[in-house]
Amino acid sequence: MKRFGAVLVWGGISALGAAAFGVLALSRGETVNAAWLLTAAVCTYAIGYRFYSKFLATRVFGLDDRRATPAERCNNGRDYVPTNRWVLYGHHFAAIAGAGPLVGPVLAAQFGFLPGTLWLVIGVVLGGAVQDFVILFCSLRRDGKSLGQMAKEEVNPGAGATAMLAVLFIMIILLAVLALIVVNALKASPWGLFTIACTIPIALLMGWWMKRWRPGRVGEASAVGAALLLGALVAGGWVAGQPHLAPLFTHSATALTWMMMGYGFFASVLPVWMLLCPRDYLSTFLKITTILVLAVAILVILPPLRMPALTPFASLGEGPVFAGKLFPFAFITIACGAISGFHSLVASGTTPKMIARESDARLIGYGGMLMESFVGVMAMIAACTLDPGVYFAMNTTPAALAQASQVLGQAGFVVTPDAMRELAARMGETTLLARSGGAPSLAVGIAQIFAGATSSLGGGSRTLDALWYHFAIMFEALFILTTIDTGTRVGRFMLQEIAGHVWPRFAETSWYPSVIVSSAAVVAGWGYFLYQGVVDPLGGINSLWPLFGISNQLLAAVALSVGTTILIKMGRARFAWVTAVPLAWLVTITMTAGWQKVFSGDPRLGFLAHAASLAGSTDSNATRLIFNDRLNTFVALLFMTVVTILIVTSVREWWLVLSRRKAAVLHEAPYVEAGYATGD
Amino acid sequence: MRPETDGVPRSARTTWRRSVVQRFFRIVRRVIGAPDYEAYLEHCRAAGHAPALDEREYVAQFFESQGKGIRCC
Repeated sequence: MKRFGAVLVWGGISALGAAAFGVLALSRGETVNAAWLLTAAVCTYAIGYRFYSKFLATRVFGLDDRRATPAERCNNGRDYVPTNRWVLYGHHFAAIAGAGPLVGPVLAAQFGFLPGTLWLVIGVVLGGAVQDFVILFCSLRRDGKSLGQMAKEEVNPGAGATAMLAVLFIMIILLAVLALIVVNALKASPWGLFTIACTIPIALLMGWWMKRWRPGRVGEASAVGAALLLGALVAGGWVAGQPHLAPLFTHSATALTWMMMGYGFFASVLPVWMLLCPRDYLSTFLKITTILVLAVAILVILPPLRMPALTPFASLGEGPVFAGKLFPFAFITIACGAISGFHSLVASGTTPKMIARESDARLIGYGGMLMESFVGVMAMIAACTLDPGVYFAMNTTPAALAQASQVLGQAGFVVTPDAMRELAARMGETTLLARSGGAPSLAVGIAQIFAGATSSLGGGSRTLDALWYHFAIMFEALFILTTIDTGTRVGRFMLQEIAGHVWPRFAETSWYPSVIVSSAAVVAGWGYFLYQGVVDPLGGINSLWPLFGISNQLLAAVALSVGTTILIKMGRARFAWVTAVPLAWLVTITMTAGWQKVFSGDPRLGFLAHAASLAGSTDSNATRLIFNDRLNTFVALLFMTVVTILIVTSVREWWLVLSRRKAAVLHEAPYVEAGYATGD
Repeated sequence: MRPETDGVPRSARTTWRRSVVQRFFRIVRRVIGAPDYEAYLEHCRAAGHAPALDEREYVAQFFESQGKGIRCC
């Protein structure tokens, strides 16, 4: 009877999901309600979690609750601590969810809402969540070792070094892209810049409170910090209206670039308790609260999607937001939310050291990634509720807009200058044109959803739009800056470790000359790409976001290669397809995208073609743009080469093990029975 | 029945409320990845040794180890 009930429930969920997908796929020309998109996503997640993750947990990985986890064996009450699985789920989600799942879907909305949504939903169930789960499981069985260490031990030392190098390069591109999003959101925006600038003294105050004044009183410090943050948000509106104060916080993108670099340097050099940790706590509070409120707001108002299911840019490949056709660029643009290599660093970082039982890895690794995908779906909804004309005007530079004007006009994606001025005034800004990077358009979408929800609940009016807009900007900028803090610092540690092989003293993380030189080198690395993006006439997103997507997905390919190697060595070769299939897909899309970005004959798409089109130009920036194109070509080819080496090394290892030419030696931690299993 | 704690009468309901509030804040601390000295004391009790670190030292060590963590994109 119970079994019959389960069949009925899961059959019903499957039918509902299929119906929702049917509505989304078959609607042409008419407006679709966001409810269908949410239903399709949630039903797919439910089925994926209930059946596929269970299959992975029991049949493929063989999770064993009688085996003690690192948190139990190495418990030190600090970083190795057995933690309730729901609490750890929240912690893991807060660590993996950043700007990526919010911005990627917004940019991919230029193809329409359908391609990005399908990739978010299907990609996560079969790829992204599998990657997070497999790496968490592998690290769990190895005392919480990092991805690089696992590659070194389970594939070979060369693979470990290659993976570490790949992570460092990817980090530099990632930080540049994220910084570019913040710069584009804050340029000529005194309200936004004032609010974000205030987060620095607020974080310093919190750090002093927690470390010096009342050690460990995180709750008190965070409550004060959150109150001051909201105060800064409201005060920002007042500052923007003051003729003497507003110019102090009104800066060009170039000036903001230098400020960001200075900030990144100090965040890396200062002790973590002073700036990095307090900002991280504030960011986490804000992130979880806002995402929950956004989910409720979308459910309350169920907005209609004004963007069509497919736009002409899906097949033409001449999108003004970024160039390239749906295949492969939709899959590159949306990395976080569908599959993100960066998660493998978190899944082999703090999380495996806190898992109480092996079976908890299913909820945390697989379930955590499903939640991130859901955030991506919400971002897609927020972007697609905007008028398409507004969306393209906000995300496109004037040069790119002029190139795409004919297609935009034919598709009806037009907006008048007056309408844009009126929208900017409602959001408390002087202009919203050419705010590429996704964050401002997402903020307008979120502001409209929040304002709509408060109106429908009878608790507000549309005059709150400006406040909601700047709240959304603050929410995005805050956790992007957290990633810049931690990323620059981790990049600094990696650089110190690498240089330490040549000069051992350089590896001492507390030796200040080394700290300063390595921090400056990392900041200069991402700062150069950031500057390149800021001065790019087509908007840096066109060149940098695909580069980031390619690098992030290539890191996922590294993680899946390591996962496949471990499964084969465990004697589970018959199940190796669970990681090998997403790996094959990732290699296909990233190599295709990388090849097109380098060698395409279209100057908007190919770096080399763009450089060739500038040859002989009288433009004063031509020499620098040509150099940047060549640098981007080098970086793309470097990523592709590094990952090819790692995959070939892995495949060789698989062949040696499967053909019994090499013993399958696993480097797992020794089996120790869990305390509760032995009755302790 | 009014149990006594540190010589101060306290109703069972007040004690229960306080423990719920403390529990809630411990969950929040763990979710955001903040230091949790109680966890360290529990570990010391379970391991059968006296705490080697006071709260200030524990917080300092905790922040140092957290500095190597990464937040995702």
